Amino acid sequence: MKYTGLPLSDIQRQKYKRHNYYFNIILFIGLFLGFHWLGPSTIVLYLLSFGILSLKFPDQTSKKKSHLFWVLSILGLVANVFFILMLYRSSLDMNRFLEFALDWWPTPLTPVAVSKGLLFLFLILICLFYLKPRHPGIIARNLKYQVLLIGGFFMILPFYWMLITSFKSYDEALAFPPTWWPGRFQFSNWVEAWNAPKSNTYGDPPIPLTFTRYFSISVSVGLVTTAGVLATSALAAYAFSKMNFFGKGIFFYLIIAMMMVPGQVLLIPNYLTLARLGWLDRYAALIVPWLANVFTIFLMRQFFMTIPDDLWDSAQIDGAGRFRFLWQIMIPLSKPVMITAGIFAFLGNWNSLFWPLIVTTRPEMRTLMVGLQAFNQDAGSEFHLLMAASTFAVLPVVIMFFFLQRFFIQGIARTGIKS
Amino acid sequence: MEAYIYLSPAVCVLAAFWFLPVILSIIISFTNWKGLDTWSTVKWVGLANYKNVLTDGEFQQSLLNTFHYVLFSVPLTMVISLGVAMLLNTRIRGRAFFRTFYFLPFVTTWVAISIVWRYFYHREFGLANHFLHTLGLPRLRWLSEPQGVIAMLLQNIGITIKNPILAGPSLAMFSIILTSIWRMIGYYMIIFLAGLQNIDKSYYEAADIDGANAWVKFRRITLPLLSPITFFILIISMINSFKVFVPMLIMTPNGGPDNTTSTIVFHLYEKGFQGLWLMGHASAVAYILCLILVVITLLQNTIFGRSVHYGG
Repeated sequence: MKYTGLPLSDIQRQKYKRHNYYFNIILFIGLFLGFHWLGPSTIVLYLLSFGILSLKFPDQTSKKKSHLFWVLSILGLVANVFFILMLYRSSLDMNRFLEFALDWWPTPLTPVAVSKGLLFLFLILICLFYLKPRHPGIIARNLKYQVLLIGGFFMILPFYWMLITSFKSYDEALAFPPTWWPGRFQFSNWVEAWNAPKSNTYGDPPIPLTFTRYFSISVSVGLVTTAGVLATSALAAYAFSKMNFFGKGIFFYLIIAMMMVPGQVLLIPNYLTLARLGWLDRYAALIVPWLANVFTIFLMRQFFMTIPDDLWDSAQIDGAGRFRFLWQIMIPLSKPVMITAGIFAFLGNWNSLFWPLIVTTRPEMRTLMVGLQAFNQDAGSEFHLLMAASTFAVLPVVIMFFFLQRFFIQGIARTGIKS
Repeated sequence: MEAYIYLSPAVCVLAAFWFLPVILSIIISFTNWKGLDTWSTVKWVGLANYKNVLTDGEFQQSLLNTFHYVLFSVPLTMVISLGVAMLLNTRIRGRAFFRTFYFLPFVTTWVAISIVWRYFYHREFGLANHFLHTLGLPRLRWLSEPQGVIAMLLQNIGITIKNPILAGPSLAMFSIILTSIWRMIGYYMIIFLAGLQNIDKSYYEAADIDGANAWVKFRRITLPLLSPITFFILIISMINSFKVFVPMLIMTPNGGPDNTTSTIVFHLYEKGFQGLWLMGHASAVAYILCLILVVITLLQNTIFGRSVHYGG
């Protein structure tokens, strides 16, 4: 440790860290808006102010400050003022002036120009790292925030784009350059998209077909399948974890082996079986094949194994039968794993496309995903409607995720650790 | 005997729709089954289906596409998600916030987000081309560009690649790869994060005392102790990537430019459930996929299995 500063109190340190966080967010928003309004020249300003940010809020207050510190501080201050000024001025159509002033970004990207740009970035980085020992950790932390913010921006961008396009008019959705905020919010898109499948209806008498139908099929099939999977899996997992019977090892081995088989192998025979049974285009085709799931059985069995056998002994003394023990003791105890398994079963069913696509031919038996896929093919370039349909297809799951986030994340983390 | 009663519901369904089809599928793959034929009308053709599949140019193309997809998406997804997990595993503000944002794409459905990304990559008014345009770069054809990405990159410095294997995935396929990376980062990040949090902090403290820098700590502590998780993710992400289908169906419904986004499962769908409904042919494709997965998993076990560090 080279720096010789006074140590900060904890409260001051907390304040610095908080400020650091907020300034990182502000800087990132500045980058985005600057890029949007002024073009690539912003990157220079961004890096400069990033350097300043790394210096402005150090962990330790240093009494002696180097000349470089002051040079960079003033440069950064000027850059920031200039930046804000230009943001203001760009709305007064000063774009050309600024591009002229800061036109370091080469429009035809030649190797010489690229290497010039890289040299410039390299110099800034050298400056930043030169100051590192004086202010430990700050640069790394700022970098961390910026990387996370930029990454997060790209994670959220498609969602934002989907939502905002769903309110645009047809012409605006096909405008280039695209607009980040619709000129006029056209809420009727949602209604139009919701009623769009109507045009595909045939049959006698024609059934009015909207996304209501697709949603009700998906929700009912999803709920029935989830309940069925949980019931069959709990029963089977109970037998595997708490009972001894002839062939237990073989049965369990077969189930584990089934996890290795890709689902695609099963598609054709299952399709033919259902066709022979006359189940195509019926609810049974969407539900019955998925009423048991080897993965869920395995997951529950692993959890049931951790419940001590003593409980069963004492339940027996109290006169409880096996089923009563499962229903009143085991299932309440394994609520987290039941919820996790339920979520995955429901999601898997809600999101599945291949199977519902091949077993449904009549439009009124489509699940939401098949309906959406068909709408995607019909709608062509009506992206404002497609985005509206995508938004309401995604919305239920996203809302569910926000309420049950804990179970999602625990469930996934558990699958990783248990392996 | 009570146990069998508890087992029966699950076993009945599994027997009818999981165990039995595995065997039926093999038998069908040896017949000339088409559409809704019955057992009495089909003929035993031996290994003809397998021979046809393996010599079929379309299948070979889809095999190559799938390998390109796996080779590009799996390592990139793993590296990025490990990076994000490492960043989130430090003491920073807004951790839960970032974690939710990065995880969000995973909970959304493939169908809906594929539509969004199809719009994103649109040649004329997509956001991707808008970004390129802002940066002063030429616009790309994204989902309708059959040229390989490596070939396109090397073309800029004057090297031409003719070999389709070395040319890399077509830009259309690469766009889909980017989408799948975007979607899967959150999922593997959560698993990595759980693994990172399981590593005992005392190792790092000991390394600090010895004066190790961040890279050495990562290389000598984090990576070895994380290897079981990394191995697990490698296997499941490989298996899932080989079975990719939905984004291709939505973003490039006809197999993409020059068939460069048609994957194995896409080929299975086109042969088995479209056009001539060649069930025998499609079953053979499914079994070849199954075989590839088994071989890949075994290979990984023998190659990486030894360097996985359990316990400690």
